[in-house]
Amino acid sequence: MEKNVALIALFAALIAALGLIPKLTLGFGVPITAQTLGVMLCGTVLGSKRGTLSVLLFLLLVAIGLPLLSGGRGGLGVFATPSAGFLLGWPFAALVTGLIVEKWRGGSLAVVAGVASVIGGIVVMYAFGVAGMSVALDKSLVEAAVLVTAFIPGDLIKAVIAGMLTAALFKARPASVLSRYAA
Amino acid sequence: MTRNPADPVQIALTDLCFAVDGKQILRGITHDISAKRTGIVGRNGSGKSTLARLIAGLVPPTTGTASIDGHDLSQDRKQALIDVGILFQNPDQQIIFPTVREEISFGLRQLGHPKARADEMTQATLEEFGKSHWIDAHVHSLSQGQKHLVCLMAIVAMTPKLIILDEPFTGLDIPTKAQLTRALAQYHGNLLHITHDPADLAGYDHVIWLEAGQVAQTGDAPAVLNAYVDAMTAIGGTDDIADIAS
Amino acid sequence: MISLTSPVKTRAHGWPAGLKLAGLCAATVGLFFIQNLAVHAGILCVIVAIYASAGPLFFKTGLRQLRLIWVFIAIVAIWHIWTGDIITGGTVILRLVSALALANLVTMTTRLTDMIDVVRVLTAPLARLGLNPAALEMAIALVIRLTPVLAQKGGNLTQAWRARSPRKPTWQILLPFTVLALDDADHVAEALRARGGFTPMKED
Repeated sequence: MEKNVALIALFAALIAALGLIPKLTLGFGVPITAQTLGVMLCGTVLGSKRGTLSVLLFLLLVAIGLPLLSGGRGGLGVFATPSAGFLLGWPFAALVTGLIVEKWRGGSLAVVAGVASVIGGIVVMYAFGVAGMSVALDKSLVEAAVLVTAFIPGDLIKAVIAGMLTAALFKARPASVLSRYAA
Repeated sequence: MTRNPADPVQIALTDLCFAVDGKQILRGITHDISAKRTGIVGRNGSGKSTLARLIAGLVPPTTGTASIDGHDLSQDRKQALIDVGILFQNPDQQIIFPTVREEISFGLRQLGHPKARADEMTQATLEEFGKSHWIDAHVHSLSQGQKHLVCLMAIVAMTPKLIILDEPFTGLDIPTKAQLTRALAQYHGNLLHITHDPADLAGYDHVIWLEAGQVAQTGDAPAVLNAYVDAMTAIGGTDDIADIAS
Repeated sequence: MISLTSPVKTRAHGWPAGLKLAGLCAATVGLFFIQNLAVHAGILCVIVAIYASAGPLFFKTGLRQLRLIWVFIAIVAIWHIWTGDIITGGTVILRLVSALALANLVTMTTRLTDMIDVVRVLTAPLARLGLNPAALEMAIALVIRLTPVLAQKGGNLTQAWRARSPRKPTWQILLPFTVLALDDADHVAEALRARGGFTPMKED
């Protein structure tokens, strides 16, 4: 019980801390915002249940007024912007990502976690994000989708990175990748 | 292309000040350091770690300058990699890669060496320390002391003229400390050792005693260390731990 | 960690948080049912007046929140100027700004502790589904306490990277960073267990 609370809290803190450290790059100087990568890792490392709770806890803290989103953003205002759909999609992203890593046992973990991150962290997240944007901007779903296509390549790279990180973590500390153990 | 780390090194600090969030950490330090083995002692909170990072060029000063052989390392990061290496306290907050090979090769690749050459130099460094069998080891299987050694090797491989040590022996047991001290003593280049424990500086030439962001005393190691120990013992008899910084 | 509550005291700081949140929900839904540009303009004027009434510091802080949506404002403006549908474009923009401003107003006038009280009330029914309220409160406190600590460690890792590379750190730093979070979780769990966990001790 204490272990679960600690893990859920620490990964929520990890997502927050990712917004506070200097921005990371992809290696050719291209900057990436690492917080959504943190959401993917919640799913791939902690699994569906703990991962989702961790992301929900993070969003709760943002909602009650803490500036935890990158750039010091926070408060109820961020849930009233056109991109609020993406935020609401984060817990579902972690849920789906976690479920896939838990259920799909064959093959390399890097591939499984990478595919899980694409399906959860991109397909599911963008579904919510595009829907939210379409309502807020009074545009059709297709129009809203066009607005966000520019971000997909970057997020695809993040999903690949999430896969590699999860596999590397499993190699270093197998017991810590809970998505591969008991529920 | 290996430089000789035994080349002499001149550290020049001129009216060096550092403040963050309105708090003044270093107050106008002016000093030249050219001894082979220099120590910096002071209480926790005296500004020692900050001074280490300023000398390494990791952080730019608020005002004043810190230079090594005339180079401002906070501006010239490429020169910084050639001139100085810095060993931090905690290997878990310092080791980036999962294998010893990757960790030691990293700095060499960043210096511009191609992969094959970096690998060669990594193996040479491991051999120098008698740890050739560590080449394919995973960092997570190593003990704390072994991790400290990996951090040291990763720096030594880059043959900097100066290695700054920021309280690197914190929490180590007696044998590990002795082994690491021996490994450091063999280094051809200069050492700048930050510590609050004077016992770490046995055999050092020059010591700077830092107090509340300023130089309290500086000179030959034995004299300064004795004065420092006396002062610290005196403070130990008081209750200044009760004071809360405003 | 400092919350986004404004240090400038307003009357709204004293109103019950639950009421403010309920009002915000109703108002936001209402905004989406109003289609009239003039009405939206009027509503936004009222909101701006409320911000201004709390003083220049409060107003400036509120204005800074607009950075969250200026990109969207620009996109909508360009889009609707292009299609010639200025009225709808104006309505969308005014609605966006009003919704953001109202939500931000609640955040700026509500203390963190009051928000946590509302969370406690709202999550009380979830206890039946297995949610331990003490655990949730502890989790909130842990994140608030440990985020700066973890960020500091991440900062140390980026410094260690920059000590050996002239380039900015890459994603690879996330491996040791995640390990640090996992280790901290172990230590915290130990500390929690040592203090009795989440089941209150029974009185004899």
